[in-house]
Amino acid sequence: MITAHQLTKRYGATTAVDHLTFEVPPGQVTGFLGPNGSGKSTTMRMIMGLDVPDSGSALIRGKPFAELAWPLREVGGLLDAKAFHPARTARNHLRWLAATNDIPLRRADEVLDLVGLSSVAGRRAGKFSLGMSQRLGMAATLLGDPGVLLFDEPVNGLDPEGIRWVRHFLRALAAEGRTVFVSSHLISEMSLTADRLVVIGRGRLIAETSVADFVGRSGRSAVRLVTPDLSAFAAALDSAGARVGDRDGDALTVEGLTAAQIGDLAFRQGLRVHELTPLTASLEDAFMELTQGEVEYRPSTTMSAAGSGREE
Amino acid sequence: MSQVVQALPQGHYRLRHVVKAEVVKILTLPSTAITLGVTVAAGLLVTVLVTHAAVANGFGFDSTQEALTGMIVAGLTLGVFGTLLITAEYSSGTVRATLAATPRRPTVLAAKMLVTAVTTVVFSEILSFVSFFLGQAVLSGRGTPTATLGSPGALRAVLMTGVFIALLALLSFGFGLICRSTAAAIASFAGVVFVLPLVMHTISEEAVRYLPTNILTNSVMSTVNPGGPGGPGGIGPLSPGIGLLLMAVYAAITLGVGAVLFMKRDA
Repeated sequence: MITAHQLTKRYGATTAVDHLTFEVPPGQVTGFLGPNGSGKSTTMRMIMGLDVPDSGSALIRGKPFAELAWPLREVGGLLDAKAFHPARTARNHLRWLAATNDIPLRRADEVLDLVGLSSVAGRRAGKFSLGMSQRLGMAATLLGDPGVLLFDEPVNGLDPEGIRWVRHFLRALAAEGRTVFVSSHLISEMSLTADRLVVIGRGRLIAETSVADFVGRSGRSAVRLVTPDLSAFAAALDSAGARVGDRDGDALTVEGLTAAQIGDLAFRQGLRVHELTPLTASLEDAFMELTQGEVEYRPSTTMSAAGSGREE
Repeated sequence: MSQVVQALPQGHYRLRHVVKAEVVKILTLPSTAITLGVTVAAGLLVTVLVTHAAVANGFGFDSTQEALTGMIVAGLTLGVFGTLLITAEYSSGTVRATLAATPRRPTVLAAKMLVTAVTTVVFSEILSFVSFFLGQAVLSGRGTPTATLGSPGALRAVLMTGVFIALLALLSFGFGLICRSTAAAIASFAGVVFVLPLVMHTISEEAVRYLPTNILTNSVMSTVNPGGPGGPGGIGPLSPGIGLLLMAVYAAITLGVGAVLFMKRDA
């Protein structure tokens, strides 16, 4: 369990993290979502005791990080995939880490095995690819078999296979009852990995909820309808009070009625239906909607790519 | 992966755990062997060259001082070693892993200083003795006077030179804590210890004797009239004890400033 209470960090005039309060419960993967520069890494650094908050607190099982008796046995953190000396071998990196918390040095080989790096244990970590570095970082978080794990952008720079591996890895850790807190700006990845979300923008809390709730909250829901009786259907929908949106060939996007209501309408009016699909907003849509105005760096004008002339 | 999160052992992590980790760190870095190897090679080479070229001009020939000359160069490279012990942590990002594993910064710093001090003192004492005996062997072949450890002041000079070189490494470690960047720390160390004397000569001959290299050469390594009047204008070198104490104060200054910054700064 991680609890942040009114956590605040300022850098000069900029408030990187602004009275942030949230909880990360055990047994689930909690995604930490926000645009670039929204304060995710700073928050994680404060939880790990690397940065000192200006006010508020971040506690792990009710204790500040600095007061943990055996930090590596209580919290595993991967904040920076390259936080090792490039000339040291993977095994030796894990050995000195193990020594700090009185963990038997042979545990280094066990965790290398868990992340699939046994064959390169004796190689200099500086020669590792980004994916291998991430795995080494994950091995380090497991050294003390901790109940709380933090990962900052663990899938950054990974190939599809690596991303998939990380996803299974995180879910497996949560399934064992551990607290798993993982930040990302990759929304689609979070929708596959996380059970819960803590969403921030400009250092402030935007939402703390389940993934399903978060998507539902954006309020947008529509139905895709494909029909050969396009104009008759449009008129019928209009008189039933629905809004007919985008038209694409034989397809309509309908808002304001459920799929069931549209089906009933078609039956009563004798209109043909070739396809009827409820559309839920994607996590991405929900995220964009809720973080409007919270993005720190945004292009001042909308570029019209390749002369498409579309305005957003 | 184990299904049950293990129960925590009694107590909490202590200085001895962090010390053990620091020892593993030093032993598993290639730069340790490189910097210490270069220190041995460069130091002893200079000692051999200097003693081989030595000409006894009768008055004031100090065979102990001659045989320890290589330690001046050793001080430079051991300074690089001292700097790297802290700046390599910052340049590689290892410091974040260190502080995530052992967040109590006073404990971390105490362990680092302890390991650095013990390593450099033991290493430079051994090197100092080797340099002394090697130098005497070369001198005896040249037909100049030689010294033994029993000669007046010789044992004192050899022992104190070792400590002095270790203090140079600790001074440099302090610069590493302050600067956090290898280049800046080594530049500061080399600037203060090896370049400043060149500038000081033109400003004040009197102040030169308080500089580390002058203390090392004229007070600590010397067995001839250390602390006596002798220099131009009657300004003699400091006594070995005072000189060594002053060097300890210099090292304490950079270590102290570095320690305060280490406690306060975000990692």
